[in-house]
Amino acid sequence: MTYFKDDQEVYQYLGQLFLDLLADEELAPKFRAANTIVQYCYHNPESQITVKLMAAQEGQVDLGPTRLEPEVVMTMDADTAHRFWLGKVNVTVALARGQIKAKGPVAKILRLVPLTKPVFPRYKAQLQAAGRGDLAEV
Amino acid sequence: MTGFADERQMAGFKDFYQFSAPTRVIAGRDLLASAGFEFAKEGARRVLLVSDAVIRATGLVDRVAEGVTDGGLELAAIFDAVPQDSDGAVVAQIAALARETGADSFLALGGGSVMDSAKVANLLFTHGGSAREWEGYYGLPRADDGAGRALELAPLACIPTTAGTGSEVSFAAVIKDREAHVKYQIGDFALIPRLAILDPAATLTLPPALAASTGMDAMTHAIEGYVSRDWNAHADAYALHALALIHANLERAVHSPADESARGNMLIAASLAIVPTTSGALGIAHSLSHPCGALYDVPHGVANAINLPGTIEYNAAGGDDIAARYRDLAELLGLESAGEVGQTLADHIRGLVVSLGLPTRLSQVGVTEAGIPALVEGAMGDACTLVNPRVPTAEDLAELYRRAL
Repeated sequence: MTYFKDDQEVYQYLGQLFLDLLADEELAPKFRAANTIVQYCYHNPESQITVKLMAAQEGQVDLGPTRLEPEVVMTMDADTAHRFWLGKVNVTVALARGQIKAKGPVAKILRLVPLTKPVFPRYKAQLQAAGRGDLAEV
Repeated sequence: MTGFADERQMAGFKDFYQFSAPTRVIAGRDLLASAGFEFAKEGARRVLLVSDAVIRATGLVDRVAEGVTDGGLELAAIFDAVPQDSDGAVVAQIAALARETGADSFLALGGGSVMDSAKVANLLFTHGGSAREWEGYYGLPRADDGAGRALELAPLACIPTTAGTGSEVSFAAVIKDREAHVKYQIGDFALIPRLAILDPAATLTLPPALAASTGMDAMTHAIEGYVSRDWNAHADAYALHALALIHANLERAVHSPADESARGNMLIAASLAIVPTTSGALGIAHSLSHPCGALYDVPHGVANAINLPGTIEYNAAGGDDIAARYRDLAELLGLESAGEVGQTLADHIRGLVVSLGLPTRLSQVGVTEAGIPALVEGAMGDACTLVNPRVPTAEDLAELYRRAL
């Protein structure tokens, strides 16, 4: 049993989180400092989120098909992504166990990991506000 | 488990760890002549020997080539043009040469750059593509739609001529992108060499300054491996014994180059010290040092020697649980640490670096204060920062650089 029933739910929750992050005046510049385009390829359900994080440029989040050409590709189950944003996944362990596959200049994305910690409660609150408190309990 | 600072596990039974050390190691004297005999056991038949011009000039390449054919193997070709920091073009040349000459295996004779070049050339030889396309961790092709065992590469054996990187038993390779001034890593289990031959005869021509800097690289692996948040009990055994060997042999290996016992023990120490890194165990001394190499061409071992003491002081002040692990190391080195263990250990290492004749300040190796923002940018993005026991801010790293200038 997966957390998300289809790609639309992935976009509704994880996608919305990325959109909110890039609209945040404090966090967005820190994430854009990664200076890359990262694509998250999710399985179960199959879905894809591509995020443009370029310094001095507007951020961009494409849910599903995209014309952006990713520099870094992170592949994982959507469940792993969901658990990550709830603060339940150790990235280095997930990489070592093959739960997350990383291609490209991964360091550009790994540098963002410490910045994600303040986002965990935000994601939980977002789920609860959407009436999906069930997803917040993992 | 989240892997963040307030939930680190620096002692006790860990929630999870993974350990792997599959390389067959043979160590001892007069082993170069039996390189072919030993490599044949790993499936090699027609060997591409990879080295560099400096090693060739010492006569070692010819000795090993003879050892390959004496063991009944064919020598497909010798590539002896690996530069100090290898790049994507060089590894592509090596892979192409292997195909052109019908090689089925690689034998690396040299330091970290040579061994890493052979690893990545082997990857391109087996799976195609360019080096940069394979950048990342655990991304090599696997059976069962990517969920199974990493597909095997051609047999690879390594004979290290320096005692430092430990690449002869490690899962990673570092390649330089000369245009972007960055070094990138490819890491996966399939890259781990099948055979490592540790013979002090391969390091006897190593100049003292290089023996010193590469030895400090090994020491940094041992110390950071033990104190990383990705430490584990299996890797601890390797790190602690490596440190004991380095303590007993490094100065002798540097000051008495003909001391075969010291040089041989340093080879063993280096191959032990790297093993924790396969479990992800490193720290910010490496994060600080990688950009020094990429932006200022500071040799990795020299950068580590300079950055390690400040890192220890910083980390040890991050919590009693971290300091306790440094205390284990101080006791192993026979240091009295009644006061601040970080200070005691850092001072000991500073003294060792002086005794080895290495630079002690970044300003001595060309790093300037104006360069600190770019260095911090690189260090913050380094994967080693994620597994450091104390989570640093960009300002923390800038301060560490400033103190090391």
